[in-house]
Amino acid sequence: MSTGSTRPVLDVRGLRVEYRGDGRSVVGADDVSFTIGAGEIFGLAGESGCGKSTVANAVMRLLKPPAEITAGSVTFGDRDVLAMDARELRAFRWREIAMVFQSAMNSLNPVLTIGEQIGDVLTTHDKLGKRAARERAAELLALVGIAPDRLKAYPHQLSGGMRQRVVIAMAVALKPTLLIMDEPTTALDVVVQQEIMAQIRELQRALGFSVLFITHDMSLMVELSDRMGVMYGGRLVEVAGAEELFARPLHPYTEALMNAFPPLTGPRRELTGLFDAPRTPDSCGFHAHCPDDRRDCSTRIPDLREITPGRWAALTPAGGTTP
Amino acid sequence: MTLLQIRNLTKDFPVGSVFSRRRVRAVNGVDLDLDPGRVTALVGESGSGKSTIARCLARLERPTSGQILLDGEDVLRTERRRASRTYRSTVQMVFQDPFGSLNPVHRIDHFLTRALVLHGHPADRDRLAALTEEVGLTADMLDAYPHELSGGQRQRVAVARALAVGPSVLLADEPTSMLDVSVRVGVLNLLRRLRDERGLSMLYITHDLGSARYLADTTAVMFAGELVEGGDSLAVMDAPAHPYTRLLLSAVPDPTRRTGYDKAERARLRAAVLAPDSCPYDDGTCSSTIPVRHTVGEDAGQPHWVRCHLYAPAHDIAHRVLQSADSPEAETTAA
Repeated sequence: MSTGSTRPVLDVRGLRVEYRGDGRSVVGADDVSFTIGAGEIFGLAGESGCGKSTVANAVMRLLKPPAEITAGSVTFGDRDVLAMDARELRAFRWREIAMVFQSAMNSLNPVLTIGEQIGDVLTTHDKLGKRAARERAAELLALVGIAPDRLKAYPHQLSGGMRQRVVIAMAVALKPTLLIMDEPTTALDVVVQQEIMAQIRELQRALGFSVLFITHDMSLMVELSDRMGVMYGGRLVEVAGAEELFARPLHPYTEALMNAFPPLTGPRRELTGLFDAPRTPDSCGFHAHCPDDRRDCSTRIPDLREITPGRWAALTPAGGTTP
Repeated sequence: MTLLQIRNLTKDFPVGSVFSRRRVRAVNGVDLDLDPGRVTALVGESGSGKSTIARCLARLERPTSGQILLDGEDVLRTERRRASRTYRSTVQMVFQDPFGSLNPVHRIDHFLTRALVLHGHPADRDRLAALTEEVGLTADMLDAYPHELSGGQRQRVAVARALAVGPSVLLADEPTSMLDVSVRVGVLNLLRRLRDERGLSMLYITHDLGSARYLADTTAVMFAGELVEGGDSLAVMDAPAHPYTRLLLSAVPDPTRRTGYDKAERARLRAAVLAPDSCPYDDGTCSSTIPVRHTVGEDAGQPHWVRCHLYAPAHDIAHRVLQSADSPEAETTAA
């Protein structure tokens, strides 16, 4: 999908987030740049601690001290998200960008019914009356395939998959332009996961919002996303169209992440998994398992370079790549 | 020779208040064999009863009926009240959550020492060091507290603790599902190495079919408390017979199969599984009878069997008429 001509929905440029402790600081995200076009599903993949959730929270301005955005810009449409004050943010969140959190199933209030919780969003943000809010809540539930009589149900009376759908329905209640989903199906089993994914696709087609989709599951991401980025150690190491990236990963980390999941087809072969070492100032933590000669990577992960049009990878020019 | 056998294992749980007489049948008439030097995977979705089987084998739950045979002896009959020390040192378990299974106030050496001392083994430093090295940790980690270790390292400690008493059966209940992607394969490789080096018999419980295919020699598919299909792992995954197995496999995201995805077929499978009464493949026999095992093939010396009428030889259909009117499967299915 080309996003070159039209203005992107979200434009993140050179984003750097640091977690400051006493005397030292940890870089959560470093020089992260990507754009999401209208109606596009953009995926961010990577292992725990690679900074993918940090990026999502930075875009929503949800980071609290000790985390701090120290460089870069986040532009949503033509507005500078990093410059918004508290009042503007209140109007911006949920209406413009909505988020489905990692443990979304547990983010529902256990002592309120589903109807009350969805209604709450509508009466607060849309200033709807009680009756109108209830009707709209029923519509939203129908949108995610839940019968309207479940409005009276409490969260514990629903299965994990249904709770996840309710949370998604709440997220799209105000017709946001961008939906951020941080590992939306991690706690669900595969059958339910596939149904939720199909649901998200359907909703996305019907309502036309863009999606920033975060997961560690490469296969899932390739199935859902149009374009995707792979993060490692706080930096993007590869950005490309999802299918291209899957068919021919350019960065060794992308390839390693794809090989971290035992496949369901083909002959059984030994997998090595990912390297289990922290990233330090003098080692990217990964180079020891790098198949090619990348001496330059040990000090820092290189900047993204456009290898072929639309395909970016963090490879040093002398790294022996044959694009 | 089969080490641990389960015969017709059934487990009911009470539901509702303490006065309620309602029961949910979590495991219904399961037969399973665990052989030395082989990994048997038990796959199925959440709530299908996989963990209940492991807990019954670890003797954390008392089965409602059925037999657990260790070397041919029915331990539920000979050790009525609780498992004997012999049983516990033969059958050990690794739990799902390494963050919850290690007491945070003790150092790593404590967990291993406890296991050794309780079973009457000497717990000298060399022995502890050998154990930690066997699971891919270093001996200096013996002095660490659990919070100093990563999830993958903690799970390795849990494995070392289970191995301390020299078991011949290891029950691993979703040992990788709480771990980060970067260390999952490492733990799977560890389990595989232990199977080969120690000749361990392993029950590997998971809902991750890819990992079952990677690690397990035999795979059994569980649905609503019953085993519906089993056989050589590759045979079951590559040529699934039961509608439920096919549903499970079709739900696993796999970009290489992107083109082969058939939405209508998927809807049919789902209907077959969720409402057996209206199985589109059913000719009327499913709704009234319980299917028995039919062998559909043989791979690597193992029969590939399935419990589904679709595979019954036309003239040799052995039906068992459904005994109770309200079958407990309905409740588990709805959950």
